[in-house]
Amino acid sequence: MSERNEKVLMIPKIKLGIVIDHIPAGEGVKILEIISRYEEMQDVPVTLGLNYDSKKMGRKDLIKMQLEFLSPEIIQHISIVVPGVTIKAIKDYRVYSKVVVQAPKVIKNLLLCKNPNCVTNLESGIETLFHAVDEESNRVRCNFCERIFDRSELKPIIK
Amino acid sequence: MKKDLISMEDLTVDEIKDYLRLAHSVEDLPADERYRLLQGKIMAAMFFEPSTRTRLSFESAMHRLGGGVIGFAEKSATSVSKGESFTDTIYTVENYCDIMVIRHPGEGTARLAARVSSIPVINAGDGSNQHPTQTLLDLFTIEKDLGKISGIKVAFVGDLKYSRTVHSLIRALMKFDVTEFILVAPESLRLPKYFMMTDEPNKYHFYETNHLEEAISKCDILYMTRIQRERFPDLLEYEKVKDSYLLTAAMLEEARPHLRVLHPLPRVNEIAYDVDKTKYAGYFPQARNGVIMREAILLKHLGVKI
Repeated sequence: MSERNEKVLMIPKIKLGIVIDHIPAGEGVKILEIISRYEEMQDVPVTLGLNYDSKKMGRKDLIKMQLEFLSPEIIQHISIVVPGVTIKAIKDYRVYSKVVVQAPKVIKNLLLCKNPNCVTNLESGIETLFHAVDEESNRVRCNFCERIFDRSELKPIIK
Repeated sequence: MKKDLISMEDLTVDEIKDYLRLAHSVEDLPADERYRLLQGKIMAAMFFEPSTRTRLSFESAMHRLGGGVIGFAEKSATSVSKGESFTDTIYTVENYCDIMVIRHPGEGTARLAARVSSIPVINAGDGSNQHPTQTLLDLFTIEKDLGKISGIKVAFVGDLKYSRTVHSLIRALMKFDVTEFILVAPESLRLPKYFMMTDEPNKYHFYETNHLEEAISKCDILYMTRIQRERFPDLLEYEKVKDSYLLTAAMLEEARPHLRVLHPLPRVNEIAYDVDKTKYAGYFPQARNGVIMREAILLKHLGVKI
């Protein structure tokens, strides 16, 4: 058995669940942080693997969760914070569906504006809205105060 | 569908040109004809923070067009001071008027008002974000004074870091193919790099300098701004720079003959009074243009054609 396969076995295979793969090394913790903030995820067994060898990426992180279904809201949050990861659904130890998630161009009510003088932080109950500035970068513009931020510096809204 | 004016970033060059054309037409209309255009219409001037010039010029514009004006000039005169939410104020006031003009210290408030209101909303300044009617009147003034906008050379002087008027006008001028800018500011008040960002970096040139004299002979528009004392963490620093940006008539000897000195007003000590008498002083006509442009804006957003 190659060294690489031995390492993969360090995280047990799951019969039924969700795997988040191709997480850039070091970013796994960010995803874990998001997941752990959702109440519905509190009792779900989660395994986090860090710094695995990857042919594609050199090093990668990996998350396995034993649950049948990951809510679209959580998937969206993951796509905003760490775009480009692969989310795989596992049934009977096999991948039966997978999707590469990309950050949406329009982010509605999922991130808080960082500008304390933005109306979304001054008035209660106002839904936030951000638009991607361009295709390549991670920068988004607040629809209200028009300030531009890096997506990673904005805190997620967990309902 | 109702049309709002919230941000210069929402407008295409063609839309901006429409405002300019309309302002020229308004100016050509006799006063008695103008006075009939908005009779029976009511404008609400909702000023959640004080602003003498913007509020008075909007009110003057509405009166000149024969319309009525209601409103308030500061937050303490509203139910917001009793704890009413901003959106509730909008839902209430929209029943009293045909168009709302809003000034608010919170950024994005005009956008929010436009979203919840069923009548047109005009942004008269939202915090340090946008003040589109100022930018439109500046463009109108430049076009009137020089006969064109594209290809001119503009110098901005003073607080280029915090002045939303400067930020907004630079972005608008770039849309109009103004490619050369001279930026005169102390180190601590320089234009944030973001405003110089563009898809065509080779097209635009920004020359930064600390010296006002360097700019005067090289530009067609000299746009002065107030250096605000409260922007300086160190008052000694303020004392050092405040007079280096004082424009006097003597300094204008080398100016291009068609040069115009503009200023959003109020001035404090950036322009000496002896400049007022020179042919270069354009800032008081600029204030007059503010009323004309705001008449054009009210007409356009109330759907009245002339």
